Amino acid sequence: MFTATIDTILEGRRSQPHQLVEVLIDLQDAYGYLSEEALQTVAKELGVSLINVYSVAHFYKAFSLEPRGKNMITICTGTACHVRGSDLLIDQAKGQLKVEPGKTTEDGLFTLECVNCVGACALGPVVIHNEKYNHHVSPGKLRKMIDKTGDGKKKEKEHA
Amino acid sequence: MQQYVNLKINNVPVRAAKGVSVLDAAISNAICIPHLCHIPGLSDIGACRLCIVENIEDGRAKITASCTLLVQEGMVVFSDTDRVTKLRRNIAELLVAQAPNSKAIQDIAVRCGVTEVRYPFRNGDCILCGRCVRFCNEQARANALGFIGRGKDRHVDHPPGSLSAYCKNCNACIQFCPMSVTPCGGPMKKGEERLCGQCESQLSMTKDLPGVCVWCELGKSFQCSRYLAV
Amino acid sequence: MPKLKSYSDLEALHKRFLEDKKSSGLTLIIPDGTCCRASGSTEVIAELKKELAIQGRKEDIRMRTTGCHGFCEQEPIILIEPGNIFYCRVTPEDVKDIVSSAIKNGAVIDRLLYTDPVSGKKVMTEAEIPFYRAQDRQLLAFNKLVDPRSIKDYIAIGGYGALTKTLSGIKHDRVIDEIRVSGLRGRGGGGFPTGRKWTECAEAPGEEKYIICNADEGDPGAYMDRCLLEANPHLVIEGMIIGAYAVGAHKGYIYVRREYPLAVVYARLAIQQCREYGLLGENILGTSFSFDIDIGRGGGAFVCGESTALMASLEGKAGEPRAKDTHTVKEGLWNNPTVLNNVETWANVPLIIMDGAKRFASKGTKGSKGTKIFALTGQVKNTGLVEVAMGTSLNSLVFDIGGGAKNGRAIKAVQTGGPSGGCLPVSKFNLPVDFDALFDAGSMMGSGGMVVMDERTCMVDVARYFLNFLQDESCGKCVPCRLGIDRMLEIVTDITEGRGRPDQINLLYELAETISETALCGLGKTAPNPVLSTLRYFSEEYVAHVEKKSCPAGVCKALITYSINADKCNGCGVCLRSCPHDAITGRKKKTHVINAQLCRRCGICIGECNFEAITAI
Repeated sequence: MFTATIDTILEGRRSQPHQLVEVLIDLQDAYGYLSEEALQTVAKELGVSLINVYSVAHFYKAFSLEPRGKNMITICTGTACHVRGSDLLIDQAKGQLKVEPGKTTEDGLFTLECVNCVGACALGPVVIHNEKYNHHVSPGKLRKMIDKTGDGKKKEKEHA
Repeated sequence: MQQYVNLKINNVPVRAAKGVSVLDAAISNAICIPHLCHIPGLSDIGACRLCIVENIEDGRAKITASCTLLVQEGMVVFSDTDRVTKLRRNIAELLVAQAPNSKAIQDIAVRCGVTEVRYPFRNGDCILCGRCVRFCNEQARANALGFIGRGKDRHVDHPPGSLSAYCKNCNACIQFCPMSVTPCGGPMKKGEERLCGQCESQLSMTKDLPGVCVWCELGKSFQCSRYLAV
Repeated sequence: MPKLKSYSDLEALHKRFLEDKKSSGLTLIIPDGTCCRASGSTEVIAELKKELAIQGRKEDIRMRTTGCHGFCEQEPIILIEPGNIFYCRVTPEDVKDIVSSAIKNGAVIDRLLYTDPVSGKKVMTEAEIPFYRAQDRQLLAFNKLVDPRSIKDYIAIGGYGALTKTLSGIKHDRVIDEIRVSGLRGRGGGGFPTGRKWTECAEAPGEEKYIICNADEGDPGAYMDRCLLEANPHLVIEGMIIGAYAVGAHKGYIYVRREYPLAVVYARLAIQQCREYGLLGENILGTSFSFDIDIGRGGGAFVCGESTALMASLEGKAGEPRAKDTHTVKEGLWNNPTVLNNVETWANVPLIIMDGAKRFASKGTKGSKGTKIFALTGQVKNTGLVEVAMGTSLNSLVFDIGGGAKNGRAIKAVQTGGPSGGCLPVSKFNLPVDFDALFDAGSMMGSGGMVVMDERTCMVDVARYFLNFLQDESCGKCVPCRLGIDRMLEIVTDITEGRGRPDQINLLYELAETISETALCGLGKTAPNPVLSTLRYFSEEYVAHVEKKSCPAGVCKALITYSINADKCNGCGVCLRSCPHDAITGRKKKTHVINAQLCRRCGICIGECNFEAITAI
């Protein structure tokens, strides 16, 4: 139950404003996003003004204020992955999913994220697909990965 | 018992109470250091970086914001060196390129010696000085405004839901906002933004920017601390 | 587990655990850190557990999962001790053979051994592999000896011996002296003398003092701290306890970035174990010294690696740095005196106390003592975590350890120091890794990220990449950083898209000077470095972009065209079928052609072509 979990998270932390970031991280992990209702509860229970809660929620990239899509595609944009071509992966994902990084597709199937280094630099370019790490990903591999997940039909092309 | 310290600002001996900032000490002694995000009575955050000075320590000149630098006995500080003047001018140039449609920002640019703008103009409507936010949270205590987002996305907003639940209608945010003063020629058309530089023409014509407060009209427009303290 | 009440209690435990370890027969050691798992170590471990049971070897063969061993390129790895036999690129299918052949002084599976790329011969042991031989693994060598979830392993190898030595007979100021004499400088990038920092905190007025371990590691391309925390959390914790004792702090925090969930789990577990054993909490080892640690997690912000921003985050606020006219050693966490040091800095402390400052200072250069861990990545053959003595040349790192260029291309540059650092060309590879030498050359040591770049890396694009990163990560408070970086990015983007003008280069220099002098925090102040270093050493690339509107490395999309080399194309049609923009036409077995108007330079065709017939120029 929603209220039960938020209670567990707030336990032992009520009226302690310095616990704000920890509480929000736990809420994000539990629900996948931070709802308006959750943030109002946090403001009240921790004794922090609502605008400050929103300020913190918007400041850190870990927090999403909208529900996330069914599938997460996270592209690593660290330096090592960049020199191995992660920019091409971002263009590929943007073009195929028709969303900007940080956003979810209209059909709710995919959320595209870019992360500034997941610390797996030897394996770059890295794409995390629903918690599974994929290494040495090329634009073609990414295209196939997305196609297989969604219900996208592969185009068959003939020679001219 | 109030303790006092002696310091030198631009070679002028100044006596100031312990705990005040170098900026406050300068202004109360009629030494002009341009500033924007500072409002007397509110916390100083050193965001605009216009009030920078050279603080001489161990023979080295360190550039720092004077609003967050507290006075100390024997301190030697300069706000009018070539180095500081150039840096301040560059910062003011960035500001006016971002938000030319404000008389206050235009006046600051002139006061800081900007004569040309080398970046494409953007018609921004907020320069994130934080005056409104700090007044709302610290003086009005309404907590109706805050900074949302980071970096380029940073903007001022109110908590979701009805603003009237928080706002006390004191209008201080509008009063202190530099963007609320439109340039005298009216809002500039998109694509026709420019550096105005008409006000206080004697300031823009002379190479020397006054180090002593002359109660300029520019200061009135962006509500410099000297006007607010009166 | 009753709490340890004295040094002799700990010593007795050490002896017992060491005996346990020695009595084991063969041990199969498998690194299982985050990136090891990304390479498939989880599946290998699962298969190994099954196979040991099936073959009835669970009594005489032990399995130990550890943190990273450093040779990430060759993961998954299995190391067999005794014997030091090194198997690399192991798959679950290999496990059966490994278990069958694993007997003391027994058979070795040739196909799983590492092949030396120079001699072409197989290498049997880890110690002989050039990648390891050329390093000086003072800290990383412990990784294979401990399972990070086991405090027993740590105590068995002498763990918490340095703490015992400290509490049983070294006064606070003597501890600080030892650190000062060692010459240890901050490993997080700042390179501030650690001894001096501890002295200032110890002398600062105030009863309440704090210790913080900065595990925010935001530099993209750097993962040394993740590795240390995942592989040997107790080493870091021991360092923190000694530091707390030295400066008089009773509370500490390990601030770990959100993107390192495994490090958080292992650090938490280690703290829990320490509390059980009485190594954290009240009256540590029966003395009057009390100290405890909690974990604080980052929310995803590079700027939180900056000390005042980190502390704001721990205080539950947005991670905005504040003006630092008074240093955090005097006014830090909740305005109390605070020592904030990097993970690797803390990890060096027990070794300095145990083996002495002089031994530590015997390695390295005049201004940079000890060893440093680097994350060697990018366009180099052997990517992974390496540890070398300060003073080792970049040449040695890139070629002796790194094995030189991947893909046979020419190496062009090495980038160190992350977004605060710079790019150094091959002509500077004789430089030693030394705080001051790298700084003078226009880069910096940084936290240890070392990205190798080759001829297909566009240095103007690298500058754009870092500016874009910094613009994204800037807190936005101060004008020079928020607006200044934005305008630098605007100019460099213009250059990469063919709109660059010569006068913009001068403007870049002036912006760089303004931002570095006036920004409020370190992020802003060092933001111009990547641009300045690339302008300094790779100005010919800027000239090509601005004056000839060309990208010599073939990267900047607006300035390149993809074309098919008729000599290499055999008309197989793979590219035609994979092109999402219908830009390729051609008959079967005849040279194909790319329509430049339709081509979006997405890179898919280049990746799919098996004959390297498509180039970007």
